[in-house]
Amino acid sequence: MDDDVSNSFRRMSSRTRKVAPRMAAALASSDNRTQAAIARLEALENDYAGMEMVETNDDDEASLDDDDEGYLQKKQSKSTKRKTRQAKALENARKAPRNFLELLHEANLESLPPHVPSYLKAAVGPPSSTCRRHFCTVCGFLSNYTCVRCGMRFCSIRCQTIHDDTRCLKFVA
Amino acid sequence: MSNVIVLDNGGGFIKAGHGGERDPVTVIPNCLYRPLSSKKFLHPSPTASASTEDLTSAAVRRPIDRGYLINPDLQRDIWSHLFTSLLHITPSNYSLLLTEPPFTLPSIQRATDELVFEDFGFKSLFITDSPKLVHLYEASKRPDGLISKAQCSLVVDCGFSFTHAAPVFQNFTLNYGVKRIDLGGKALTNYLKELVSYRSVNVMDESFLMDDVKEKLCFVSLDIARDLQVARKRGKDNVLRCVYVLPDGITHTKGFVKDPDEAKRYLTMTGADSPSLETIKGIDRPELSEKLEDRRRIDLTKNEFELTNERFLVPEMIFHPADLGMNQAGLAECIVRAVNSCHPVLHPVLYESIILTGGSTLFPRFSERLEMELRPLVPDEYQVKITTQEDPILGVWRGGSLLASSPDFEAMCVTKSEYEELGSARCRKRFFH
Ligand SMILES: [Zn+2]
Ligand SMILES: [Zn+2]
Repeated sequence: MDDDVSNSFRRMSSRTRKVAPRMAAALASSDNRTQAAIARLEALENDYAGMEMVETNDDDEASLDDDDEGYLQKKQSKSTKRKTRQAKALENARKAPRNFLELLHEANLESLPPHVPSYLKAAVGPPSSTCRRHFCTVCGFLSNYTCVRCGMRFCSIRCQTIHDDTRCLKFVA
Repeated sequence: MSNVIVLDNGGGFIKAGHGGERDPVTVIPNCLYRPLSSKKFLHPSPTASASTEDLTSAAVRRPIDRGYLINPDLQRDIWSHLFTSLLHITPSNYSLLLTEPPFTLPSIQRATDELVFEDFGFKSLFITDSPKLVHLYEASKRPDGLISKAQCSLVVDCGFSFTHAAPVFQNFTLNYGVKRIDLGGKALTNYLKELVSYRSVNVMDESFLMDDVKEKLCFVSLDIARDLQVARKRGKDNVLRCVYVLPDGITHTKGFVKDPDEAKRYLTMTGADSPSLETIKGIDRPELSEKLEDRRRIDLTKNEFELTNERFLVPEMIFHPADLGMNQAGLAECIVRAVNSCHPVLHPVLYESIILTGGSTLFPRFSERLEMELRPLVPDEYQVKITTQEDPILGVWRGGSLLASSPDFEAMCVTKSEYEELGSARCRKRFFH
């Protein structure tokens, strides 16, 4: 049993790493695998096209209409501005846009005393009932079967055939 | 005209205008986009304008991630365009009322204050969360209603990045009672993209297009098992089937619903309806379904796609995230947990004054479904009453506009010189209690 779990976990995590940005990890919805759940949320929060192309190549911010810059006081007033250490650190940090999870990690909310409300404590938490409905990834109907190779759900022999022919492991290869 | 700018800075859309007015001057997507044909990122047009911009496969950059402002440089570009070209104002002559989500991290608050005072030079600033503004607005609309008299409500904000259930009492959001589901309109659109890409056409790069599909065709099911049955039927009996036509880049740069009347047929199904008769009819006509299979195959080559069960499986996610492998409670439980974090004296009042706001509550039948799920979870002796906003997208802004026109607004603000003297952290203390 233990072996089975760790095996499937390994299979899952290597698969989701490749797949998440594109999709699919999602439709495989496997129970009790936090890794998969995180990948799932990542995929759903992605800006897809935007994410992939943007981070690497861009100075594009300079491309905005110049007349919009008129009210930016920062450039002129920079020298007179009182600079705290915090502000400097912030300025450095701002050079590289980061994602929310990095900022969250940095904020170290775990260290707050237990009675202080925080982003972490506001999370709704797991559902009280553990029964979960599964939907077929081919047709969307309720499904009772899981593909042994890739973990996606299907509902019938017909949908399994379609899955095997066209989708199974497609996003991994 | 008032000298307060009210800015509801959402992850999906910015709503901006002058305090005291009924509606914002403009609503714009809070992003830059790069069309296929361009190397530059551009400002999208305001939502109300009849734009002809081609958003097909456009790349998107957003300053907000998971609801929080993570890229101040990008936000500065967007605000700069907003103030200069859309509102036509000089910030140094104005005060700013700005919305910020609950539990914003101190580092993000600092970056925001720096934007407001150092980059734009606003005269003064007031930061507030959205639930409080929604409460204020609804209370003002019905001065004799429970929300106004009890000064208490439970605001359910289903926005672009996430969903919050937030108790408001004596005009303050009780932050210890706020509960969050990490799902909002953006995740729903992405889920719809996955389903359609997986089943018919690859639309993974079409965020703008799929937002339109979602807004026009998705609805909340009142009976999932029944609707899944109906969605399987062939021909005319399948009242859930509809077709969306993709832009071809030549005759039309926007997609559209092929037959709007066909798309509305699901409304003929009520919560109590039994589909049994129709089901039998559908199964009994194999020759008809053969023909339709043919038509369906041809249609796929015509740059359009069909939707059936996707229409309600997408909003279903808010009610049962676990179905998608996300280990989070759904909306009804989220509300119960928010209420239970408050003093028991407030429970009956909170259940009786639930206010729905945010763009994702616009799905048809959203509030009926929520009431259906919530009722069994709430003690029998309490009433459940759900109020929907007249315009759930503008609700927060309108509350802000109201607050900005109140006589003591200026006194609640932090001025630029106070900020320069005290710094961000100490100024922030004033906004919350
Ligand atoms: Zn199936
Ligand atoms: Zn498979």
